[in-house]
Amino acid sequence: TMPFRHKNTRRIEGLDSNVWVEFTKVAADPSIVNLGQGLPDISPPSYVKEELAKVAAVDRLNQYTRSFGHSSLVKALSQVYEKVCGRKIDPLTDILVTVGAYGSLFSTIQALIEEGDEVIIIEPFYECYEPMVKMAGAKPVFIPLRCKNDGNSASSADWVLDPAELANKFNSKTKAIILNTPHNPIGKVFTREELQVIADLCIKHDTLCISDEVYEWLVYKGNKHIKIATLPGMWERTVTIGSAGKTYSVTGWKLGWSIGPEYLIKHLQVVHQNTLYTCPTPLQEALAQAFWIDYKRMDDPDCYFYSLSRELESKRDRMAQLLKEAGLKPVVPDGGYFMIVDVSTLNVDLSDVDEKQPYDYKFVKWMIASKKLSAIPLSAFCGPETKKQFEKYIRFCFIKKDSTIDAAEVILKNWNKQ
Amino acid sequence: FLSHSLQAKMSRQVQARRLEGIDKNIWVEFVKLATTYSKVNLGQGFPDFPAPEFLTEAFRRALGGGSHMLHQYTRAFGHPPLVKVLAQFFEKLLGRDLDPMTNVMVTVGAYQALFCCFQALVDEGDEVIIIEPFFDCYEPMVKMAGGTPVFVPLRPNPPKDGKRMSSADWQLDPAELASKFSERTKAIVLNSPNNPLGKVFSRGELGLIAELCVKHDVLCISDEVYEWLVYDGRQHIRIASLQGMWDRTVTIGSAGKTFSVTGWKVGWVVGPDRLLQHLRTVHQNSVYHCATIAQEAVAQGFQRELMLYGKPESYFVQLPKELQQKRDWLVQSLDGVGMKPIIPEGTYFLVADISPFKSDVPDVPNSDEPYDYRFAKWMVKNKGLAAIPLSAFYSEAHKNNYTNFIRFCFAKEEATLKAANDILQKWKQEKAS
Repeated sequence: TMPFRHKNTRRIEGLDSNVWVEFTKVAADPSIVNLGQGLPDISPPSYVKEELAKVAAVDRLNQYTRSFGHSSLVKALSQVYEKVCGRKIDPLTDILVTVGAYGSLFSTIQALIEEGDEVIIIEPFYECYEPMVKMAGAKPVFIPLRCKNDGNSASSADWVLDPAELANKFNSKTKAIILNTPHNPIGKVFTREELQVIADLCIKHDTLCISDEVYEWLVYKGNKHIKIATLPGMWERTVTIGSAGKTYSVTGWKLGWSIGPEYLIKHLQVVHQNTLYTCPTPLQEALAQAFWIDYKRMDDPDCYFYSLSRELESKRDRMAQLLKEAGLKPVVPDGGYFMIVDVSTLNVDLSDVDEKQPYDYKFVKWMIASKKLSAIPLSAFCGPETKKQFEKYIRFCFIKKDSTIDAAEVILKNWNKQ
Repeated sequence: FLSHSLQAKMSRQVQARRLEGIDKNIWVEFVKLATTYSKVNLGQGFPDFPAPEFLTEAFRRALGGGSHMLHQYTRAFGHPPLVKVLAQFFEKLLGRDLDPMTNVMVTVGAYQALFCCFQALVDEGDEVIIIEPFFDCYEPMVKMAGGTPVFVPLRPNPPKDGKRMSSADWQLDPAELASKFSERTKAIVLNSPNNPLGKVFSRGELGLIAELCVKHDVLCISDEVYEWLVYDGRQHIRIASLQGMWDRTVTIGSAGKTFSVTGWKVGWVVGPDRLLQHLRTVHQNSVYHCATIAQEAVAQGFQRELMLYGKPESYFVQLPKELQQKRDWLVQSLDGVGMKPIIPEGTYFLVADISPFKSDVPDVPNSDEPYDYRFAKWMVKNKGLAAIPLSAFYSEAHKNNYTNFIRFCFAKEEATLKAANDILQKWKQEKAS
């Protein structure tokens, strides 16, 4: 027999590894309290589940819908975001519905990024940004968030970009910068001033902005989510990405959207029509109905967009308290549903662990085995140069029901008893 | 001094070069036309009859059941209950053991499965053989992957003794096919049963393709979404089960076509791990997870079919039986007005020669649109009947080879097919008077 010559294409060379492969096996073990993967174990709101049940009974909703987004959904999205952005959004030309925000990131990058381009990625970053940029043939250029107070961080607001350092990353090859606010994993909510620094550079260098805003509704007291697309000169160069999974606690619906000017979105639509063509119909219809319900009460504190945020804020506060009592140093997030924690304070000696992995990987594995609690190592979210800077942090997810946090509490309270 | 908004507009080509030449899409235009004008839509391929009760029940059960975790992420490469039952099912059909974790992957419809195949396996400079007429996405997907499509046509060999033409009469010329294989050939795309013609490749025809694949060490991307829709006692043969083919074939399937739920967008690939591992890499870097609930329901649908396999109550027995009848009605309707149907052996599509109706739509010399495009557009606007021009399924270079044919979808309720018949009859009468 001939030797098998068929290997992977160049575009996916080196992109096969995945941090989750190591850590999601853990999720299957029920004896482990899983605060690792960003998976809500709280129930989505009942009306969201009811809308999907209603949809299941309608025949035509089991067949193909409009390629770029089911009509009622894009209409609902345009209404919600017109209200938020204060500008007209055309549901047919300015919006693309995708398979999760993940699909929006992919469509945007495939549409607008190619070999010869550089894309600025802020570290730590949601792990798919780097491989997606590489798959498009472009070069990721990293810039880290740095802790203001000499490593003594109590809040996500302590983590900032150095404006001069950022400016140095821009050059004539820079095609785009990927912004994630509220930020995963740190939970930082970029301020207007910080966004203005980024915007000024985008305009100066004629660069696009890919703005991942999946956690847009999850901002805690004293903070406001600002859309960079609403800053002067930015609508024309920004694709803003949102997620049903994060908005309604339905990560398994895998619906997301890209919103931006027609002349950018049309290219995302071309990618979409050549990759998966349509997104599932029943889920889009149910999501549209859920959006109408909340659109009508957007001025009301009971709107799910705000009520979820309040619910998560108290979980955040509880988790932060428990972690501090166990001797860990949490970085309290201003937004999102993740919290990073400095574990170096515990001085757990893992030097005898053979593997050439960063400290946080070893710590998480040790914590899973000895404490039955899981998290994600932060160096999974960094480029090669900054792993050392972030290897004392691990990430916890707190969009968990009370009983899960209760179980975590037991572990954390008993942490120091050996 | 430029104002912010002027300065802000991108001053260089903003889109990536991989989008060159793939921006046009026939469906965007024809779906819009159908939505606007059609009274009877036999155009886009989707059933207008309900999905089977047992499947929508499974969906409702999944929703009503205790666990709200079905609203959260499942396993990225496929919901465990679904990949397990797919492995069980296809083990029987392919006659080999299948590992659900490595030999099966779930995708967002067969469409995304195709995308993963091309992105994972086709590099710049690779040639990919596509048999014409073809499901239109193959060509742009090959191009987007930097590959070069190489076309080989099915040629109509009119049957002797006045018999009606069948999709079986459209055949590859073996020497012509062999000539398309070069050292740059990476893969051939096979679609059996074939959309749009409805051809069901015979064992002999598949054997020919297989031999060439083995000889030239070429991969086979086998789009078998209509695998259950075969008529007149014909058998669907899976090329992956032929000698030397398992190791080089990715077989694609679709819940949308299998269970009449095109809007659920659940598809899958079955193949050897050493090919699927690369599809997994593409999948994890493009969509990562597929929606959970529909996968749960489809898994239950397959469980039922596993138990009823080969029995009369099996949906895979009932659906082709019903569709064969609908095919025959449509054939009768078209015969009745002088359009000449090519009898499909499979799928729910039928291609017909519309030459007798050409006088209604005058030819326009030097038009940049093939005749059948103009005919189909005129027909939907003036007669309210939507169908798709056959040249939509040909490469740019060959669009004018067959311009007298249009494709009808017959996966429609009796009432729809009757209404189509009424339109055709009225049209014929108008021509006569």
